[in-house]
Amino acid sequence: MDVLSDLFLDYTLRTVALGSAALGVVSGALGAFAVLRRQALLGDAMSHAALPGVALAFLITGSRAPLILMIGAAVTGWLAAVAIVSIVRASRIKADTAMALMLSVCFGAGLVVLTFIQRQPAAGKAGLDRFLFGQAAAMLESDVITMAAVGALGLLGVLVLWKEFKLLSFDPDFAASLGIPTRRLDVLLTSLLVIAIVVGLKTVGVVLMSAMVVAPGAAARQWTDRLGTMVTLSALFGAGAGVLGALLSTTAETSTGPTIVLVATGMVAVSLLFAPARGLVWARLRAWRSQRMLALEAVLADLAALAAQHGSDATHPHDVGALHAVRGRVVMQRALAELAAEGLAQRHDGGGWSLTAQGLAEASRLARTRRASGDAP
Amino acid sequence: MSVRLRTGNALAVQATDLTLAYQQRPVLWDVDLEVPQGVLMAIVGPNGAGKTTLLRTVLGLLRPAAGEVRVFGRPYAEQRQLVAYVPQRGSVDWDFPTTALDIVTMGTYSGLGWVKRPGASERSRATAALTQVGMQAYANRQISQLSGGQQQRVFLARALVQDAQVYLMDEPFQGVDATTERAIVNLLRALRADGKTVVAVHHDLQTVAEYFDQVTLLNVRRIAAGPVDKVFTDENLRLTYGGRVAGIGGRTNGSGHEPSL
Repeated sequence: MDVLSDLFLDYTLRTVALGSAALGVVSGALGAFAVLRRQALLGDAMSHAALPGVALAFLITGSRAPLILMIGAAVTGWLAAVAIVSIVRASRIKADTAMALMLSVCFGAGLVVLTFIQRQPAAGKAGLDRFLFGQAAAMLESDVITMAAVGALGLLGVLVLWKEFKLLSFDPDFAASLGIPTRRLDVLLTSLLVIAIVVGLKTVGVVLMSAMVVAPGAAARQWTDRLGTMVTLSALFGAGAGVLGALLSTTAETSTGPTIVLVATGMVAVSLLFAPARGLVWARLRAWRSQRMLALEAVLADLAALAAQHGSDATHPHDVGALHAVRGRVVMQRALAELAAEGLAQRHDGGGWSLTAQGLAEASRLARTRRASGDAP
Repeated sequence: MSVRLRTGNALAVQATDLTLAYQQRPVLWDVDLEVPQGVLMAIVGPNGAGKTTLLRTVLGLLRPAAGEVRVFGRPYAEQRQLVAYVPQRGSVDWDFPTTALDIVTMGTYSGLGWVKRPGASERSRATAALTQVGMQAYANRQISQLSGGQQQRVFLARALVQDAQVYLMDEPFQGVDATTERAIVNLLRALRADGKTVVAVHHDLQTVAEYFDQVTLLNVRRIAAGPVDKVFTDENLRLTYGGRVAGIGGRTNGSGHEPSL
């Protein structure tokens, strides 16, 4: 089967791809701010708290229209965020405890209402449990339109208040000293995050939605040192993970949420390891290279010291066995081989080693720059 | 002209009877802060004395249980444009994805109003401020790649861009290198020469007399305030630090830093 051509011809696949792209862009862009503001856990609590909202909205209205369920989800998600902030402000309970508390309480309440609904004979009840782990294949055109419209609202908010949100995220105290109403902006940005969460609920599910908020932002941060680029990349990563994960889950018939999250996590892993400036692999490589350079310079200095002891004949061969004990045999052998390859050291017939004239010059140059920069020799 | 009108002859900053408590524990008790125009004033006191809290209360970041703040004779809220704030360097995450120039440009935001983005003129003002603190070469550096002293100078440049009359600084000398310390001192003097007023939380008792004209000694209550040569005495420091401070009054012997209590 050719997924790519199906993407354009097959109605279901096209709907799934468009919807997942929309949700990925929105959750990626707003998630970048959540990552920078350390609100990852808050996002998790809010997405779990959306479940009772979905269930209650259905119970009250009897409708499964995407907008109505989204509004229900947004209301309880938002209330949970308010409750968390209030608990932290009014009591001695710390933020992480308050968030864990709200998350489990709301999720539990959501499950209770869901089970209650399942036992009702009413028609059209089926499908609400999809909100747990998400199901992309169930996406309809009406879903996609609602997701795109609601998501556009969230993106518009970020674009319009870009500089205010940037300042709020970096230095809220300074923002307040400028007379910017930081409390209200904070509520607004958190509300936009709620929008990003509810847009993805039906596709990704409440349990894993927070990963879609956090993962693209975390990955994007690795690749850039500019906020604008980070938010854009995060939106692209979100869309990529959404589309790829949703298509995979639809064709392989796995749960959509977990599949999307696995793809997003893969992006984070690649970014953590291989991003140019921050990648762990490059950092290790740089550390390893500089360690080898240092070992090389140390051996060079050792040989220069031996030569100095010997007075007139600087290229007299020395037994390096004593140095093995200090530097380690493997390090010594490798360093000597490399020095020889660069023409800085030479091996004599009896097995002894000495520096070449060039090596001596290099050793004294290094010693001079060391002294100049104030390092210990 | 308008600034002239709004500043008049009043005290640059006058806070009266400020009282503030965290969960029944008073942090500021009936504190007055009187800062004449055109002086450099240090706020000095032990850890937990409420120095940062005082600054944040003056700025309206904390709401006091009692007391009021006036700037050039009018309520703070009306005069906000005349006040610039330099927070403690450690109060923000320096791994934030942005450049030194961008941080300094944030000082122009209040003049821009909502929604409008900073343009060429804001960026050139920010560049000028960076130059003033000797950081123009680092304008496009990611802020986490700057040293502590350089980060502090970026914060100072951000306040300079605000073109205020009063500068409130929270420990501007904390953890900076000697170069930055000199640069900050020169900057403070240049501000004073321009008729500006500076209030700075300061930790190093050794340098109070050298760097500042006026001092407010604080330990939850205001212990003493006034010109450094009159107020910064052994007796007052003992009252402030609880009698355990050695080698004070600007005349040195050994440990110049705040005594641990």
